[in-house]
Amino acid sequence: MTQKGSKIVCPSCGAENLPGTLFCIQCGTYLPSGGPLRTEPLPEQEEGRPARPRQEGEEGEEVWALNIEVEVLNTGRKVLLSADREILVGRLDAAHGIFPELDMTTDGGLEQGVSRRHARIYTREGTCFVEDLDSTNGTFLNEERITPYLPYAFRDGDLLMFGTMRLKVHIYPNR
Amino acid sequence: MVTIDSQKDYYAILNVSLNADDEEIKQAYREKARDYHPDSGHGDADLFREVQEAYEVLRDEVLRRAYDRQREQRGLSEESPVGLALCQSRTEAFPLDEPQMLYVLVDVLPHTSEQPEVTRQHLNVALVVDCSTSMSGARMQNVKVAAADLVESLGPQDRLALVAFSDRAEVLAPTHLMDNPRVFKSALAALTPGGGTEIFQGLLAGLEEVRRYASPETVNHVILLTDGRTYGDETRSLLEARRAVAEGISISAFGIGEDWNDEFLDDLARTAGGVSRYIRAPSDVRTALRRQIQGLSSTLLQNMHLEVNVAPYVSIQGVYRAAPYLEILGYSENHRIALGNVMVGEPVAVVLEFTIARAVTGERRIARLELVGEQIAAPEPIRLRQDVNVTFTQNPKEEPVPPKLLNCLARLSVFNLQERAWKALGMGDVHQATTYLEYAATRLFDMGQRELGQAAMLEVNRLMHGGDPTKEGRKKLRYGTRSLTSPMQ
Repeated sequence: MTQKGSKIVCPSCGAENLPGTLFCIQCGTYLPSGGPLRTEPLPEQEEGRPARPRQEGEEGEEVWALNIEVEVLNTGRKVLLSADREILVGRLDAAHGIFPELDMTTDGGLEQGVSRRHARIYTREGTCFVEDLDSTNGTFLNEERITPYLPYAFRDGDLLMFGTMRLKVHIYPNR
Repeated sequence: MVTIDSQKDYYAILNVSLNADDEEIKQAYREKARDYHPDSGHGDADLFREVQEAYEVLRDEVLRRAYDRQREQRGLSEESPVGLALCQSRTEAFPLDEPQMLYVLVDVLPHTSEQPEVTRQHLNVALVVDCSTSMSGARMQNVKVAAADLVESLGPQDRLALVAFSDRAEVLAPTHLMDNPRVFKSALAALTPGGGTEIFQGLLAGLEEVRRYASPETVNHVILLTDGRTYGDETRSLLEARRAVAEGISISAFGIGEDWNDEFLDDLARTAGGVSRYIRAPSDVRTALRRQIQGLSSTLLQNMHLEVNVAPYVSIQGVYRAAPYLEILGYSENHRIALGNVMVGEPVAVVLEFTIARAVTGERRIARLELVGEQIAAPEPIRLRQDVNVTFTQNPKEEPVPPKLLNCLARLSVFNLQERAWKALGMGDVHQATTYLEYAATRLFDMGQRELGQAAMLEVNRLMHGGDPTKEGRKKLRYGTRSLTSPMQ
């Protein structure tokens, strides 16, 4: 949803765009439907974030907070993603300001056809969504290719594929 | 209250004919409603609602007449050879005091399904061939083969002329009917390379030939084939093109190899309602010519225009052609956008970028679009009208941008980046050009256009080391990015 009345700052080149702009006038980056909500945060902002969720805790206001754990099947690497914010899936490219939360470089992302800005994952009211960002080799949910820029809901146990990179998803509540 | 949505085909939803009577409509509604009712085993709430909506409109005499009128304006009626369909980035938005953007994709869709046997138009074409020294060898050989081949695909009612030009022009075969193609074929032998390239001379002679038999009943067209750069006569050529289009003659320009002036030929074709094409290998001349002739003979509308009337607080930010290929379109002060011809099987699409300066709550008409086009051998031009409406509310619904529009915009942004790079380079700003080309390369790799992305990076490297970009790289990028096909298919 458009953040009311705010200029959209391009996450890639920093140019200011009018509300409603879809592609940055300066560098052509896709500005997801125009609000800070969908802008990819830089990794510096991640500082101080706990790596794992606290085991015991209070029921906060964030009733819907979920944790998503993905298991990269070819390397066995498990990554825990805190999905109270958007997660960009891709390959790190510092030169172009692309800092994915889920960086597939070390898993052989390039060889397996993962784009730098491949897909994004986010939750809305307790449901997890994956959206392909018009990646080169596509995103697959349970072996089916999904249409770029359309959100698809996924569940615990689903299989995600970015290019040919296979990931198994586990979802549990962030308590 | 029932609202009419002219984007929907109510007749198709109920599966009734356009002149179905009340009883038929009622009957059809009952059947469909039973099928789709959510309580029936295989119900579908959305379809059920659509059926209801269709029935509500068509059962009511006044509403049905209003809907029919809107259909006609959109070109859904059977007489119109094309239809008009809009696709907006948003239909609801916040009422902002500051400017905001709105994108609209306008599709001009030929009605091919309804009339598969489209009457073939009669052609009145002049082939204008560059015979400068650089054309010798494979290029001229291929042009001759292609031109001879062309004759085979023409009918006895078609007219063709052959003009050769270098520093001066020569009519090798005056306009004549193709019931006797021997005149044309033997004239081809007289095509001999030698001299420079003066496009204006050739163009003028070609137009003269077409003028001799030009009529509203034929498709009047000049095909210019060149491989070189013309010097000093660009302005005169463009003026001539403007004159031609006013007379109902269109011009297409085909560039062979890498040495021709792409900007000029694109400009010439755009001005004269034709197409420009980059022919990389001489052996591709034949396919390009054949395709052009096939397209011309299936022309549905000529001299097409889109007239855009915007609300006082709305301005046009940019106008682009999205199909058959990407192109930055110009528009006159009264917002008239020339679109040239539309042919069977080749939809024309335009992207409009609007800036809404200040929006007030409520449903507002942002712009009214009117498509005007001349049908061959018809006395009156056809007119189709569509409105762009946006509802401004404090609580706009979340709506995904239609993938089709998004896709067009993604391709356009890459095309624009490389166009800006060449422009910056033309003004001597190498640094800026490099930056734009790098952006373009990134986007191209993101889109999976590896080859084009690499071509862009190659030029970036040359520029960074103080070199000039290659002519081939420039052509490859310009004509590659403008005809990027949808990555979604």
